Amino acid sequence: MNIYEIKYALQNFRKRKLRSGLTILSILIGITAIFALLSFGIGIRKYVDALADEAGRNKLFIQGKGIGAPGTDENFFLTKKDVDFVSKIKGVDEIVGMYFKVGEIGYNEQKKFYFVSGMNTDKIDFIEETFTIEVIKGRQLKKEDVDKAVLGYNYQFDDKIFKKAVRLGDKIEINGNHYEVIGFYEEVGNPQDDTNVYITDKSFETLYPDSKDKFGFVMISAQKGVEPSELAERIEEKLRKSKDQEEGKEDFFVQTFEDALATFTTIINVINGMLVLIALVSLVVAFVNIMNTMYTAILERTKEIGVMKAIGAKNSDILFVFVAEAGLIGLIGGILGVLLGYIVSSIGGSIAASSGFALLKPAYPLALIIGCLVFSVLVGATAGFLPARRASKLKPVDALRYE
Amino acid sequence: MKMPIIQLENVWKIYKMGNVEVNALQGLNLDIKEGEFVAIMGPSGSGKSTAVNMIGCLDVPTKGKITLENHDISKLSESELAQIRGRKIGFIFQQFNLIPTLTALENVMLPMIFQGVGENERMEKATKLLELVGLGDRIYHKPSELSGGEQQRVAIARSLANDPEVVLADEPTGNLDSKTGANVLDFLEKLHRDERKTIVMVTHDQNLAKVAERIEFLKDGKIVKSLNNNRRSDAK
Repeated sequence: MNIYEIKYALQNFRKRKLRSGLTILSILIGITAIFALLSFGIGIRKYVDALADEAGRNKLFIQGKGIGAPGTDENFFLTKKDVDFVSKIKGVDEIVGMYFKVGEIGYNEQKKFYFVSGMNTDKIDFIEETFTIEVIKGRQLKKEDVDKAVLGYNYQFDDKIFKKAVRLGDKIEINGNHYEVIGFYEEVGNPQDDTNVYITDKSFETLYPDSKDKFGFVMISAQKGVEPSELAERIEEKLRKSKDQEEGKEDFFVQTFEDALATFTTIINVINGMLVLIALVSLVVAFVNIMNTMYTAILERTKEIGVMKAIGAKNSDILFVFVAEAGLIGLIGGILGVLLGYIVSSIGGSIAASSGFALLKPAYPLALIIGCLVFSVLVGATAGFLPARRASKLKPVDALRYE
Repeated sequence: MKMPIIQLENVWKIYKMGNVEVNALQGLNLDIKEGEFVAIMGPSGSGKSTAVNMIGCLDVPTKGKITLENHDISKLSESELAQIRGRKIGFIFQQFNLIPTLTALENVMLPMIFQGVGENERMEKATKLLELVGLGDRIYHKPSELSGGEQQRVAIARSLANDPEVVLADEPTGNLDSKTGANVLDFLEKLHRDERKTIVMVTHDQNLAKVAERIEFLKDGKIVKSLNNNRRSDAK
């Protein structure tokens, strides 16, 4: 076995372009699908990890046990009294309650319904840190900013929310009241957060007087050295007693940020894993296809094998030549599959980004590329092994006589 | 006296075809000595092809002993047999048997690949051999682009690639017209004369056999007559 035999395999391969091409196509499809799917899976995981690092792993939330986006359940709220109670629990560092309510947003005669969020301006840095957002244009809300608003990322563009892009200094309406736009937040990457309208808690209480001191969503940070999951349990137990609710029948739940992300990641992983599994089926088809191609090639080249044996090829040489040829089919299918997978996922990623799902951003770590290539070579070589073994075991006399 | 390179002693080859046993060789005795040009003649069905397979170490006998340079080939593994074939024997087939996807040069290089010869050396040697057979200007042609005579000359060049002890030619002119055939035959003769190669040629054509020093007549799987071709020896 040596490098020259690989060259021989390569020559044979080049000289049977059409059949090699069709076989390559079959493995290419599978590798393309697997590469693209995994690049999204890895990309989402990276996004989530970055999010967790940025927000800090010491964050916790209290929210209603309802369905729908956090803080949107109208039947659930924690009162100011509850928040004060929790703030005194050992291990709690910072705490802030958030107001959320759907509002009618108007601009230039157009009206749309989006979430309005009331921010506690004393804790605005804490909120921004937890949401991992920063103002990218204009400035943050301050306590005295009555009738002022900061908007989500998407408002800055034509035809995204309103026909015309909203600019700094423009007036928008919330439920008929006018607010001056003083800033825009950066992109979060999902359409809900990027369409939020932020005003101060004082403005919010004026706008929705019934909702005063009723928080749909509470954010907490654990003190240094305090395990967030233990703190979550402690808060849950104490708050349950304070609200006089039975265990298991609470109308709220406390979750650490990491747990929330883990749930999200698990769902993504399961979906991704299932898709990859389907893609693997196509590789099984490719495997059979390569095997078939190699059996055909060996039948066709029986006499050639006889000649090679007559002029000194050992069984292992013949085995190696055909396994190398099948492996080569795999490798080329793999390279093309990775390239095509890259193109497909890039296009998919940019489509997702333009639809507001910037978090669906594919990632291409080197391990993914190498892994896909190694895998496709293995698929090819394994598929080629049985046919190659049969070829290697042909008796030279019989093979030479074959017509 | 010269040492025999290949020695067949009481060689039997029995094929089973269903329930019938066919005795292709029935106690064949044959010595091929270094530097000889031996022709093996016989009608079809006489066991010529089987004899070639035995001499060329492509097959092992059912009974009897074949010695190639003091190795009993029936005691060798398939890989060792392949190695011996590659180094010691150069094959020329009736059907040329070039690899159709490879160029003339690559075809001649192929036996050296299996002996692990480096690329530069292979290239150099294959080019020289193709020049020797008069195809120096056609080395990048594929078999399909060459005439029958040219293909057989490529095959001759290939048979010499690893400097074999013996060149084994099985009906080398059988697929060629008489003129081209004569040309190829001249070439084998020249190889024998100038390169001192041992040549074993199998043929059914008496006229071809005349170029050999010794003619062995095969019938029913054994040698029935052995003839020293004095005219040929004189010509030398």
